[in-house]
This record gives sequence, structure tokens and C-alpha cells, in this order.
Amino acid sequence: MALIKVEKHEIDETEHEPVRVRGFPFFPHFLLREVVVMCLIAGSIILLASLFPAGLLKPADPFDTPSPIYPEWYFLYVFGFLKFWTWGIGPIEAKTIGVTLPMVIWYGILFLVPFIDRNPSTDIRKRKVAVALGVIAVLGILYFTYYSIVHH
Amino acid sequence: MSLSEKLYKWFDERLKLRELLPPIVKHPAPEKVTSNPLYCLGGTAFLCFLILVVTGMFLAMYYKPTPVEAYNSVKRIMTEVPMGSLIRSIHHWAANTMIAAVMLHMMRIYFMGAYKKPRELNWVVGVSLLLITTTFGFSGYLLPWDQLAFWATKIGTGIAGSIPVIGVYISLILVGGTDIGAETLTRFYAIHVLILPATIVVLLVLHFMMVRLQGISGRL
Repeated sequence: MALIKVEKHEIDETEHEPVRVRGFPFFPHFLLREVVVMCLIAGSIILLASLFPAGLLKPADPFDTPSPIYPEWYFLYVFGFLKFWTWGIGPIEAKTIGVTLPMVIWYGILFLVPFIDRNPSTDIRKRKVAVALGVIAVLGILYFTYYSIVHH
Repeated sequence: MSLSEKLYKWFDERLKLRELLPPIVKHPAPEKVTSNPLYCLGGTAFLCFLILVVTGMFLAMYYKPTPVEAYNSVKRIMTEVPMGSLIRSIHHWAANTMIAAVMLHMMRIYFMGAYKKPRELNWVVGVSLLLITTTFGFSGYLLPWDQLAFWATKIGTGIAGSIPVIGVYISLILVGGTDIGAETLTRFYAIHVLILPATIVVLLVLHFMMVRLQGISGRL
């Protein structure tokens, strides 16, 4: 209901002093483009599904460890980092760091991004540090994904 | 008065359509959003979510979450159920596409700096959505109960279990004991079809309401 109230408020305002916004109305212009994009994506998914059906291996057997075991592709970087990091720091074991860094610390940093980056500019040329760190993070995840495939 | 006008009037008298519809229908979408395909990523993720909900409902009609029957019920979906193989494959591909779209959407937001004031909270909700989406993937991975599912889950829960302090509890909650078994399977099933869907719907509502209230961030 709060949303509806806000909308009403907006209408009242525009009646007094019209605000010009460059853009198309949501319906039908924006929605038409959305529907076209949706059809393309849904079509692609159905095409992929018919060309490459979801697999099913042998039934689970707790006494027969297969090799190699791959997790879903979006967890590979955690595996890769765990294999990559073999150095303990003081009393902290290497494995603990290898697990905590790509999961807990990484997500912690992600959550805090808007509170760490206090630079108000959205101009990419004025946020060199943030963009550089972002590129490093993306390359890092890609590298550890690659590392996990090569060193399984 | 035509039939459609009569219908509109009937609903308008009861639901105040005249007040409700224009802000939705006429709300302007900024020009750059309509011209730049990078702005499609969030919507792509949401479309995948909708596809996953529908295909997931059909899969749930045939799937049996017990170690004895899980594998055979999936096999039955793949070989006997009409269109079952297609539905499961669409579920599989929509899931992977959704995770890719969520990640790329997050990268767009990051590199465009769209998380800055006043959108900090929506970034936090967005990261939670990424976390929920990958947990969806992790919990769904076990359900077919084949070799890959079993052993990937064994290693995955093992890794989660070695997080300091909270790891032991995460592992206990997920596995429901010391070894992957019947308890784990029903837990993962409940997480995958009840807990996570309820959570993601709440977060999605918050996410979209904040986009609407705060507008779509400025420049490229």
C-alpha cells in the first residue's frame, strides 16, 4: 500500500509542475521490448534443453568414490582456491583460510561494497580504484575456476 | 457501451483501476534502459526464476525424495513421463542461466556504480539473492541422487563444515546427521522447494519495490 500512496503522491506533483522524463511509457513500448527479449531467452533455454538434456549418471553409491568429482561450475572457484592455498598463518590452518576466504570473507566484502566505496561518483573514469578492484576480483574468480579444473 | 468497457467499469468500481493503473502503465522507462541490452540481465534472471517455478512444480509431481526412490523417479521423469525429459532439461538450463544472469547483473551494477546512495540496501538484498540462488543450485544438485550428486554434496557439505565456529552447525543442519543419507535428501528437498522459494519471493518483492521507489540508476 505504501507503494500505491507514493504513486498517488507523484501524480499530484506532476499535475502542479510537470516533470519531463526522457523515456518511453512502460506500457506498451517498454513491455513490448521486454516480451521480445523474454521470447529470445525462453527460446534459447528450450533450444539448449533439447540439444543438451540434463544428465543422469549411475545411482549414488556411498562406497564407490568417482573421479573426478566436479561441483556446479559456480562453486569451482571455492574448490580451486582451497587447492591453491596451502599456507597456514600462525595457528590458523591452511584449510581454514582456504575455506573462509572464498566464502565467508568474500561474501562479507560483497555485502559491504556500498559502505566501503564512499566515492559518490558513478563516472567510470572517476572510480579507478573500485573498477580496478572489481576487475581483479572477476579475474581472480576466473583464475581459481580454471585452477580447479586443471588441478582436480 | 462495449463489453470491454462494461468489464473495465465493473472492476473500476470495485478496485479503483482508474487510480491504480496509470502509474504502472504510464511510468516512463528511461531511454538508456530501453536501448542498452546490459539492462536485460536482471529481468533475464527473473524470467528464469519464473520458468524454474513452473517446471519445478511439474518435477515435484513425479519426484520422490527418498534414497531408494529418488534416482528411479528421476529416471522415470527422463524416460517415461511425457515431456518429462524436456521439462527437467529446461529446469536444468534455466537454473544455470539464472545464476549466470544474476552474476552478470551484479557485475553491471558494480561497474556502473549503481549501488551508491540511495541504493545501498538494494545492493545488500541483491547479494542475498545471489546467495539464495547459489544455495538453490547447491540443494538441487543432490536431488537426482546419482554419483555426481552424492559426491559433490559430500564434498560441498564438508567444505561448509570446515568454516570456523559456524561450520559445524551449518553442516549438521544441512546433512541432518553425520553422513549423507535419507535425512539429508529430505532436508535438501525441503530447502529446495519450500524454504528457499519462500525466502526468494520476499527478497524479490523487496528488490523490485526498491527499484521502483529509487528509480534506475543514472549513467553508464
